[in-house]
Amino acid sequence: MPAGAARWAIDRIRTLWALVTVRPVSLYAASVLRIGYGLLYLIFLLREFPYRHEIWGPSSPWTPALARQLFDQTGWNSILTLSDSRTYFELCYATALVTSTLFMLGWRTRLLSVLFAVVVISFHARSIFMTDGGDNLILLMAVYLVLTACGRRWSLDARRVRIRAARAGGTTEPVRSFLSQQLRDARIALITVVHNCGIFVIAAQVCFLYGSTGLYKVQGATWGNGTALHYALNLELFQPWPALSHLVDQYPLPVALACYMTVLLQVAFPFVLFGRLKYPVLALLLCMHIGIAVLMGLPLFSGAMIVADAVFLPDRFYCLLWRLWKRATQRIGAKDADASLGQRSAPVPAQPGPVSATTSSSAAR
Amino acid sequence: MGKTRWPVSSAMRSADVRELQQSDSGPASNGCQSDGVAVGRGQRGARVLKAGLRTVVVLCLFTTLVHVVLVFLHVAPANTVSKRYTAAIDAWVYPYFEQNWRLFAPDPDSVNRQILARTADTGADGSVKVSDWFDLTAVDNSTVEHNPFPSHTTQNLLRRAWTSYTETHGGDDKARTERAVMIQKYLNNIAADRVTAHNGGTFDFIQLRVITQPIPAPGTATSGPRTPAETRLLPWWKVTTHGK
Repeated sequence: MPAGAARWAIDRIRTLWALVTVRPVSLYAASVLRIGYGLLYLIFLLREFPYRHEIWGPSSPWTPALARQLFDQTGWNSILTLSDSRTYFELCYATALVTSTLFMLGWRTRLLSVLFAVVVISFHARSIFMTDGGDNLILLMAVYLVLTACGRRWSLDARRVRIRAARAGGTTEPVRSFLSQQLRDARIALITVVHNCGIFVIAAQVCFLYGSTGLYKVQGATWGNGTALHYALNLELFQPWPALSHLVDQYPLPVALACYMTVLLQVAFPFVLFGRLKYPVLALLLCMHIGIAVLMGLPLFSGAMIVADAVFLPDRFYCLLWRLWKRATQRIGAKDADASLGQRSAPVPAQPGPVSATTSSSAAR
Repeated sequence: MGKTRWPVSSAMRSADVRELQQSDSGPASNGCQSDGVAVGRGQRGARVLKAGLRTVVVLCLFTTLVHVVLVFLHVAPANTVSKRYTAAIDAWVYPYFEQNWRLFAPDPDSVNRQILARTADTGADGSVKVSDWFDLTAVDNSTVEHNPFPSHTTQNLLRRAWTSYTETHGGDDKARTERAVMIQKYLNNIAADRVTAHNGGTFDFIQLRVITQPIPAPGTATSGPRTPAETRLLPWWKVTTHGK
């Protein structure tokens, strides 16, 4: 019946509409990505601090003139090439450090996410011949995170909102006019839609990453005959622990197995995301990345991949993690209190109860 | 105490809302318009808003879809679709969404490259003094060893400069494109910087030698004949910005 079909279609569209406009998905995952990439970039900038002039500075072998010439050909842009002055460069570097830190902490997140993206693009573009896959992923994620509401959880912004709400206490929200209420609703719906689109793009991006690298590996003979890791282990530039690399290389059977597992995991990745199978697959990928980080001396690359994988963990997983963490810290706190009590043998009991009670009541007032 | 009063005044409040909305809707309103006009105007505004929102949401979803499809075509191995729409894909993806996930794929490198440099200095009397070969790669390798977090300057700088050089120059050392000239200058600068940092001194010319050593297949590391290394000697380059 066409009428029934039409009603069914309208219902579907309504559901889809509600799905994308009402509930922002994966707020915790978005926050984990914010913290992860902010932290990674901060670590990266601090690690390269002694080499900053060689990589991005005016005296770099990839001179500002060469960089500008390349921008004309490729369309990239960078704040770093606006001036060849060394002071300006140091100022940019300091700005980048501060931006990464504040972005990680989630302070005025929307504004900082834009600044963070500008910083990452600028540093990436300035020395594009120095970058690898990890840098490329961080760049893409920095751009996509601008779309998301990545400051809603575990951030200074969230803390401010909480404190303000507690201070407001019993009083209700100020009365709004009809139209301004409508405007507010529209704004919230729009933010939600853009956030959901951003999360979807991030998820799709990670799937494409694994899927395409897996498909390319399938075409390689060494992945097929199980010797690819033997060659990877013997690259001198990626041998921070030569003895360890040679030790692993002496076991061709596990190495071949690891080759096959790598390809299988990467190709299967997009298909396991919709079931419970994703947890073991993500755990195996985590092990693989840790292996790459240690054996090949690529912690930044592996870190970027691990943070990207975190987008697939649901909010309830992060809530569980948070509760476990709280319980653990409380237990440790209680143990510390007991220990200090025992040491001093003071008659004063620990008073967590009354303290929290007074703060909450004062907040409610 | 204040809480108990809210339910009583809520009916009045909804009337207040309309009044407020009316005064918000424009500076001309002075409170003498009837309620009906204000409500009508508010509802019209709301309807326009809703239509606008709907359009923007649809645009967002459409853009997302387009982005995902184009990025997929960009990263996937070349196929009939991506070949046909190359121009559109490139226009959308470049520069900011450019990506390449051929990580150790289709095969990891099966060679270790050793890049060496030597310099030539012309004295005041016209005599030319050529230095010994200086192993740039050995410096990088020893910096990576026992370093859990090697810098990009050791793992990526020379490695990627050299791969870019071979991509832009091919087998001979003639720079035929603008990009090739740029990369040659880059490689020249890197080598000059490294030699200066290590040995000091001044020089006018620099020359690179690249030895490509294949990694033996598994099981043949100790026994069997080693595949001979391949050596590529680059022409002397004049040092421009660095060195002297």
